[in-house]
Amino acid sequence: MIMQKFDYQAPADLKEACQIMANYGDKAKLLAGGTDLLIALKKNRISPSQVVALDQVDEIKGLWSDDDGIYLGARTTAAEIADSDFGAAGQALAEAAAQVGSPLVRNLATVGGNLVTAMPAADMAPPLLVMQAGVVLEKLGDNREIALDDFFVGPGEQVMLPEEIMSLIFLPELPSGSGSAFEKLGVRKALERSIVSVAALITLADDGKTIQEARIALGAVAPTPMLAATAGAGLCGKKATKKNFSAAAKTTAQEARPRGLRTSAVYSRLMVEQLTMRALTRAYAAASR
Amino acid sequence: MKKCHITFQLNGSLREILVDPNQTLVRMLREDLGLTGTKNGCGEGDCGSCTVLLDDEPINSCLVLAAQVDGHKVTTIEGLADGDKLHPLQTSFIENGAIQCGFCTPGMILSAKALLEQQPNPSELDIRTAISGNLCRCTGYQKIVESIKAAANNCQGES
Repeated sequence: MIMQKFDYQAPADLKEACQIMANYGDKAKLLAGGTDLLIALKKNRISPSQVVALDQVDEIKGLWSDDDGIYLGARTTAAEIADSDFGAAGQALAEAAAQVGSPLVRNLATVGGNLVTAMPAADMAPPLLVMQAGVVLEKLGDNREIALDDFFVGPGEQVMLPEEIMSLIFLPELPSGSGSAFEKLGVRKALERSIVSVAALITLADDGKTIQEARIALGAVAPTPMLAATAGAGLCGKKATKKNFSAAAKTTAQEARPRGLRTSAVYSRLMVEQLTMRALTRAYAAASR
Repeated sequence: MKKCHITFQLNGSLREILVDPNQTLVRMLREDLGLTGTKNGCGEGDCGSCTVLLDDEPINSCLVLAAQVDGHKVTTIEGLADGDKLHPLQTSFIENGAIQCGFCTPGMILSAKALLEQQPNPSELDIRTAISGNLCRCTGYQKIVESIKAAANNCQGES
């Protein structure tokens, strides 16, 4: 038993969930996968009067798409994402989801939870950043969409109001000739918080050699997951060569802002450079397919 | 703190129970229902000793509230044997010496069961990945992997 006392609510749909959150505000905590929330409750880091389980809110589960792009329900589990086909452009997301925690954790943990908890090392954040994801935040009678790049504020902090619920993650349709990849460094393969993670996305021009667009995002090396904007922009218009990737990897390492908490900042930057090189190389291979 | 009235399928039979909202699934199974086969280890989703199948998928039952299983299907280690007849994985663990202290065994077997249902003929890497959320502090992984492989081969032989 968890020592804290709270009431449990399981709204049947998003509207009811929004109503509960409107009534209780910061006295209520949303329960999605529970892999972070239950630990926070057990360790008395939070003390809500209401725990609001989103298990029955089917509108925010699963994946669907239209001409504009892919809609990812925030309540979709890491295991479901790891088993989904996002094409070459979204390969990084499936790769990252497949490395979250362990198989047991992946069957519970959700993509929305991974973002809302706003951990610098959140595995699914870098791929979603390079895919230019937007997140939809719902509250009673209103909603707003913001770019994921504007979502994170600091370790464990994001822009959501207490009464808001993340419902969807929107992935805009990427041009053909796009490919992405995700690289993660940990000391073991499972149940590991990333020491450094990197996602890269490359869109090739029609000649198959010139980089039309490139984006690189980093995890665990700054107070929030971050885009390495200078390095990504620097690749645009250049040829996809080892030399150019290497220069971009060096720039990425400089853009990282490691705080030297889990490993030394020097080591973090060295690993950012290595992992960026690998991610760019594989993203290019995926874009060429 | 209002109690929650839940109905769920446990090891093949329908159960109805009143639970406290702050009760975790692992503790409800062990303390309210007396099913102590599921072990309570780290309580943080790191060790896997509390593994149960929720709608046939292996999960950490220390990270789920009991109230959340309302309307769902839960399988614990007690649900595997058919009367006195052990599940092939249980037999294989015994025959191959995969049980030392036994604390990780229920979780290991349930993770393995979920794997074999999806992949009847897994590679060694598939097996090691499938049990990567289950820690064995006796470090008897080799025998555990061999047992799962042997059980897969036996099941293949039967079908």
